[in-house]
Amino acid sequence: METCASIRRARPLLGTFVDIAASASVRCDLPQALDAAFDAIAQVHRLMSFHNAESDLSRVNRGASAGAVPVHPWTYQVLQTAADLNTRSGGIFDVTVAPLLQDKGLLPKNDTAGEVRVCGEAVLLEGGAVRFRTPGIQIDLGGIAKGFAVDRAVDVLKSHGVANGLVNAGGDLAAFGAEPQRVQIRNPSNPRELLYAVAIADAALASSGRGFDLLDHDKAGEAAVWDPHSRRQVRSIAGASVRAPSCTIADAMTKIVMIGGESTSSLLQEYRASALLVLDGGEVRITPDWPDGVSLAA
Amino acid sequence: MTGWMRWTVPAAAIVSMAAPAYAVQYLTVEEAQKAAFPSAHLTEVQSGRVWKASNGGIFVLDHVIGKHLYIDYAVSIEGGRVRRVDILEYRESYGGEIRSPSWLAQFVGKSASSPLQVGSDIRNISGATLSSLHVTEGVKRVLAAYGNLR
Repeated sequence: METCASIRRARPLLGTFVDIAASASVRCDLPQALDAAFDAIAQVHRLMSFHNAESDLSRVNRGASAGAVPVHPWTYQVLQTAADLNTRSGGIFDVTVAPLLQDKGLLPKNDTAGEVRVCGEAVLLEGGAVRFRTPGIQIDLGGIAKGFAVDRAVDVLKSHGVANGLVNAGGDLAAFGAEPQRVQIRNPSNPRELLYAVAIADAALASSGRGFDLLDHDKAGEAAVWDPHSRRQVRSIAGASVRAPSCTIADAMTKIVMIGGESTSSLLQEYRASALLVLDGGEVRITPDWPDGVSLAA
Repeated sequence: MTGWMRWTVPAAAIVSMAAPAYAVQYLTVEEAQKAAFPSAHLTEVQSGRVWKASNGGIFVLDHVIGKHLYIDYAVSIEGGRVRRVDILEYRESYGGEIRSPSWLAQFVGKSASSPLQVGSDIRNISGATLSSLHVTEGVKRVLAAYGNLR
């Protein structure tokens, strides 16, 4: 057996804290592997940030109503996955929810913001470029880009020879390698409480819930998930956690479960995902294939 | 369609007042300096806060502290631009206040090479996303204050 080294680092990226833990044989340059993984996450941040006027996403939002806007392959890949999720979820997952979030003051307004229009089908993807079929469309990738960034970081770590790792972007995480990783899930109704622990091995786990700020407030804030159909905040469900083969799917699926509730079980199965949801009153529901958490509870 | 199962979380499973902390020390100040400026010599120009690197770079240590959250971070500046931001320490308290001396005392003498073993073994947390806005704003302030240090 070769001697094993391990390392753990964190940087503020994607609007949250990204934590990467990795272990490998001593021949692997772990600091270099982690630097490269953080670089991949920073690139996703640069490409897909709604707040950065220079991002791929902002270029699309400014120009795709007038004509096709070519984008980076990663942006294209995320938009393709989002389109697929939009179709298969019957419109529950919709990245064109941006004008609604702008209207509610959750995203900054830009010059193009006008009438609130949400229509995922209006996003046309062709030959690596994006075009909007109708004017007034604005995309926000806040419900999927973080998971995608985690997946890219995992790819980079593996390609550098890292044997075991965990990438956690503010609660959207993926673990790989032989060793299962223990993850605590926050109580969505009280972020200062941990609900229980779950073991994750070669899988991703993401959670959604009401936003909160441990620095200034004790209580959970407003729900960050909005239903594109009713244009209302999700209130009946306090939070959802989804385990899936990829973090892109886990991240997006938490929003679908928050909005669609228990009607989403067949879609979860299609994506080989399982879920836990916490109803507003605190009651917990799990899909039958949810990894057993009871025996692992702290 | 497969049904959902109702599941009652055992009261004992809920970690609240009993579990003191989620705390990670990622880097010591020295480790962070070496990671940011591997081949440069650093000179302290403001005690415990600002260092100048022999290659012209600047290393600034800063922190954000709230009732339940404490973060130590380092900003590395080169040519008037932020080159990297590293989190050195991250601490969340459950049921206690970060500012209480007894809570803080449990971390004394801990370093990256002697990992924290605090209360229950909380290594990773998933939940509604924690905002890093405070650190992002802190980085901007650090850059404004020390970005053009000569």
